[in-house]
Amino acid sequence: MKDVVLVGLSHKSAPIAVREKVAFSGDALRDALVHLKSHDGVAEAMVISTCNRVEVYVTGQGSYQAARRFFLDRAEEAGPHLYEHCGPDAARHLFRVAASLDSMVLGEQQILGQVKEAYGVASAAQAAGSFFSRLCNRAFATAKRVRTETDIGRGATSMSQVAVELVEKIFGDLKGRSIVLVGAGKMGALSAKALASLGADRILVTNRSPERAVALAEQVGGEARPWAQLPELLVEADVAIVSTGAPHYVITPDLVQVAMKARRNRSLCLIDLAVPRNVDPACSERSDVYAYDVDDLQKVVDATREARAGEAVRAEAIVEAEVMAFAAERESRAALPVLAMLRRQAEEIAKAEAERTLAALGEKLDEKGRRSVEAMARAIVNKLLHGPTARLKEAAGSGDQVLPGAAAALFGLDEPNKEPRPAAEGPGPTGQVVVLSEKR
Amino acid sequence: MSIWILRLAAFLYLGAAAAYVAHFAKPRLVRAASIGQVLVSIAFVVHGTSIGFACSEFRGAEFFTLRGGLVMTAWLAAGGLLALLRFYHLPAVGTFVTPLILLALGPALFGRAGEIGPVPDVVRLPALKLHIGAVSLGIALFTIAFGVAVMYLLQEREVKGKRFGALFSRLPSLESLDRLTQRLVRAGFVVFTVGIVLGSIVAQKAWGSFWTWDAQLIFALAVWVLYGAMVQLRHNGVHGRRYALLTLAGFALVLTLIGIGQVPGLTQHQGTFQARSGGAS
Repeated sequence: MKDVVLVGLSHKSAPIAVREKVAFSGDALRDALVHLKSHDGVAEAMVISTCNRVEVYVTGQGSYQAARRFFLDRAEEAGPHLYEHCGPDAARHLFRVAASLDSMVLGEQQILGQVKEAYGVASAAQAAGSFFSRLCNRAFATAKRVRTETDIGRGATSMSQVAVELVEKIFGDLKGRSIVLVGAGKMGALSAKALASLGADRILVTNRSPERAVALAEQVGGEARPWAQLPELLVEADVAIVSTGAPHYVITPDLVQVAMKARRNRSLCLIDLAVPRNVDPACSERSDVYAYDVDDLQKVVDATREARAGEAVRAEAIVEAEVMAFAAERESRAALPVLAMLRRQAEEIAKAEAERTLAALGEKLDEKGRRSVEAMARAIVNKLLHGPTARLKEAAGSGDQVLPGAAAALFGLDEPNKEPRPAAEGPGPTGQVVVLSEKR
Repeated sequence: MSIWILRLAAFLYLGAAAAYVAHFAKPRLVRAASIGQVLVSIAFVVHGTSIGFACSEFRGAEFFTLRGGLVMTAWLAAGGLLALLRFYHLPAVGTFVTPLILLALGPALFGRAGEIGPVPDVVRLPALKLHIGAVSLGIALFTIAFGVAVMYLLQEREVKGKRFGALFSRLPSLESLDRLTQRLVRAGFVVFTVGIVLGSIVAQKAWGSFWTWDAQLIFALAVWVLYGAMVQLRHNGVHGRRYALLTLAGFALVLTLIGIGQVPGLTQHQGTFQARSGGAS
């Protein structure tokens, strides 16, 4: 695994001012790949470009220079921010990226899709060949293992996700229920949208300024209500998201007391996203009222991060195992061309001999007899080659280069290394992705 | 014979409980929950077979004793649990109810079999069989309701107390637990009412009166009144924590009701029909 080279920068190494200069997407990405590939000595290329990272993976002699140039041509100042890995280290880095171990939010789910897309674009542009096909499929499989074997993806990592989780644990879902958005804070709108995913019937919006209420209602797909209706809204809705700019409590225990009576004690969830707070903490003293403020939500986010950091240790072990497995598989492939040629030669001989025999017999044999002769020829080949096949595979696994060479000489095969490895694989990289991932 | 089959059933319940606990501890083990459900189903059939054998062995007299009554209740609770899991996707309920079933089987498995005296004639009354069945089913449903109410209180502590620990993510939503408790209480109350009415019919035939001021009967009435009040209070908006606490109180009363039968001389209710009816004639 000497030849894969990675040059890149990410949120860990470079500020956004540098990242935005080298990042790109869509057609620009395809053009960049074609440009990369046009360099002498670049065999395959793939570029991962997200808002948090730009990474160039290349194989072939001279690929390192091409990858560095790729960044420096775009932004001179990128130089000191670049990190470079090659061989197993580059593979490890890709696996870690795909498994979301290198993400800003550890364990987030988007990155895998982005890596898959990057590979898709690279293979569509014919920049990625058989090597990247195997490498990326390993990376995807690693990411899947990490996701299913560890809890790295568990828990809520943003305040609006926490709000969704809380409401889910109180109400189950929000079918037939309403959300009321009190105030026009940005976080409030985000959370209301996230909560709508639980199947809420309606989002009611109220604000001191009616115009803003209408504008916000349009934005979140809800209906605007006058501010004076707030007490009734607390009866109508089951979840209130409060984020006004008011420097005092907007939801007071008295207000809640009245609302709860009218609600016949149906549960009410108050989510206060404002600082200073808008919901009096005393509101939650009443049973069936569940009130949370920004600190409560942030605490959950922090706990999730901590838990994920713990899971990351186990995830790293999986990545390490997969890197080793990939390297071993790679080495074993080196001896496989000899084996393939040996088999092909033997099968051709068997087929030719069977045909000759059948031709000599003419019409004396019926269809069943003909098939028996063909089967016998194949069986002899398989029996004869059984031992050598096992031995060659074994040698490949242990990295032994002597035996394949000896086998090639003994059986009079052509030089095995003459055949270029990438060409041995079929085209249609997307098809390969499916097949290979099914094998796992 | 029946005790050996019962031991097998208990063993299966134990496996089911272990599977459910494993699923609860590691929610990623989705398989464990389905294994638990399959084991409960098999245990339910084996348990039922054991009860059938017991009926032919003791001619039904076993069910006058605490041991037999609990075996019957545990069986019906297992059936109730299976029905519940069929309609609600709440495997966590299995985690809380299977241990209760095992507890109910305890006396029959480990206690010494008491002397079962001559089988009283009154056993032949179909109303008595139905009475025992209905009361057992009612208590079984109250038992499941108790388990679900405990889950509610644990989850409420997490949600309200802003703990968000391991239980928070594993227990179902408050709303679903609350609704389930309420439905179980209502169903249990209906069945228990039928049981009590049948009981008074049997009492009339055996003792000559519909009602006696007997300690156990008084507690049975108290249980009936409490659960009846809960059904009514639900309409008045009582739910959530208070409802769960009432369910716990109701179950405590049920346990007392069962316990009273074990105190010698305190009640004339169980197993003493012959003496009473003999005295009356």
